[in-house]
Formats: sequence, structure tokens, C-alpha cells
Amino acid sequence: MVNLILVSHSEKLAQGLKELLGEMAPGVAIHLAAGLADGSLGTDISRIEAAFEAVTDDSLLITDLGSATMNAELALELYSGNHTITFCDVPFLEGAFVAAVQSRMGQNLDEIILALQSEFQ
Amino acid sequence: MTVTTEQFVNALRKGALAIISAKDELTDLDREIGDGDHGINMARGFQHVHEELASYEGTDIGEVCKAVGMTLIKTVGGASGPLVGTAFIKFASAWKEHGTLTHEQLTAGFQEACAGIAARGKSEVGQKTMLDVWVPFTEALATRQNVDETITQALQTCQALSAKKGRAAYFGDNAIGKQDPGAQSSALLLRPFAEVM
Repeated sequence: MVNLILVSHSEKLAQGLKELLGEMAPGVAIHLAAGLADGSLGTDISRIEAAFEAVTDDSLLITDLGSATMNAELALELYSGNHTITFCDVPFLEGAFVAAVQSRMGQNLDEIILALQSEFQ
Repeated sequence: MTVTTEQFVNALRKGALAIISAKDELTDLDREIGDGDHGINMARGFQHVHEELASYEGTDIGEVCKAVGMTLIKTVGGASGPLVGTAFIKFASAWKEHGTLTHEQLTAGFQEACAGIAARGKSEVGQKTMLDVWVPFTEALATRQNVDETITQALQTCQALSAKKGRAAYFGDNAIGKQDPGAQSSALLLRPFAEVM
């Protein structure tokens, strides 16, 4: 089942979104890389890399704002694991929502990306 | 003109110290048109870089740049970490196993770095970003113009721009007349290289 990786500046924002997604897509693995280690706002590439290590299947990566995207893209370039992780430039909340429900329905990564593209293009 | 590893490391050390000293000024600029963490982030990252350079005894400029790039990526955070980090990773591949750099090699490395920053940030000159310092700096270097004056001029030009990228873009034309923090810190980082050249 396709995993979701949410990269956000805010741990609270990401946790809130995860909670919201859990209502519609229980059982979908959602990994967070959000906020800095000291609890402040920001994105930390080490946390993104830790999320990459935690995925159990191919994964979709969604980010909240520009610098989260830059850190995520850089982490993707450095990633050498066994799963396919794809970044999708979609609205953080709505994009994650569509992706989580699609994953719950058993769609594969390519199918989910197509669904996101048709929803947000 | 050639640049030795020692000259390069010294210039980088001065740039790092300048950024650390300007921590509050950079953060104040970022409060105006951003999220108010630029000075804190850059000072933290360049503090690590400064410590790293203090113990460097090798003679490979590419190796120095690779270590500095990874440190910046891991410790700066924000948008500047991946951007400035990418610049140094580009230096590292351009100058791999180089103990000295000719003018052409130095220029080529800076051109690669500018392209790397532009690709990472999906940005170009004229959008009120660090590229508005990096690119004029590199052009002055390539054409052997006065690099120090070019940086001063580039900062003035950048200050007058409307913001098209990053957090500042949310302020748009309201950013006109305010300095871009990334351009300011890039000027601090690059100015010491003017002395080397």
C-alpha cells in the first residue's frame, strides 16, 4: 500500500493533517517530517531522510511550502533506498487527502499521481 | 591569477564570520519580508562551517566544498540550507581534486553554482533572491570586472526589485525598497573572495 510522506514546517500542522487523513484512510501509512528537533518551525533534511527510511512501500511525498519542497527534493536526490518515492506538487491538505483515500482503495503510485494530476492541474 | 586552497579557505572563513556577525541584521531583514529566521539559520550553519574549516589541513578545494555543502544542507534549514548547500556541492564537483584554481576554473565553478541555485529554487535573476548577487558576482568574475563594486551595485538593484520567489513573494511589490536577506547574506559570503581575486 502506497505510503504518504508529509513534509511540513510545523509538527502540529502535520500531526493535525495526519489525524484528519486517518478518519478517511485508516491503515494508510503516513510518515511525518515536520518542524525542527527543538520544536520550532522549519524543515530539517535529517527528519525527511528518517521518514524515507521508515517507508514500507512506494511512497508519495507532499510538502507545505517552498523551502520544505527544496529540502525534500534534495533529500530525494540523496536517497538510495529500495522504494520509489515521488514528490507531487499539490496543495498540502487537499493533495494529501486525495492521495490517502486513493491509497486506501489500493491504487498504486502511478495511479495516485494520475488522480492528483487530474484533480489539481 | 590562481587561487590556492589556503586562499580559498581563508576567504570562506571570513565570509562565515561575516555572516555570524550579521546574524541579528539578517534576521531583522527577514522579519520584514519573510519568516524571520534567516540570520539564525545562516549563523548556525556557518558556525559549523567555521569550526570545520579551522581543523582542515588538506589541499583539495573540492573536498572542502563538499564537506561545507553537506554541513550547510544539514544545519542551516530554511530555504537557504538547500540553496547555499547546493552551490557548494556544485563547487565540489567542479573543483574535485584541485589544489589550485585558475581564473577559468574558478569562473566555471561559480557558473555551475549559479545554475545549481537557479535549478534548486526554480528561480532566475530579477526575482529578488540570492541569485541577484550570485549571478552578477559570477559575471564580474568571468569578465574581470571589479567584483567588490559589482556586489554593492547588485545589492542596490536587488533592493529595488519586487519579490517573485520564496516567502517574500507573498509580499510582492510591498517588498520593493527592502533588502532580500538571502542577497544580503550572499554578499557577506562572497565579498571576501573579491580580495583573493
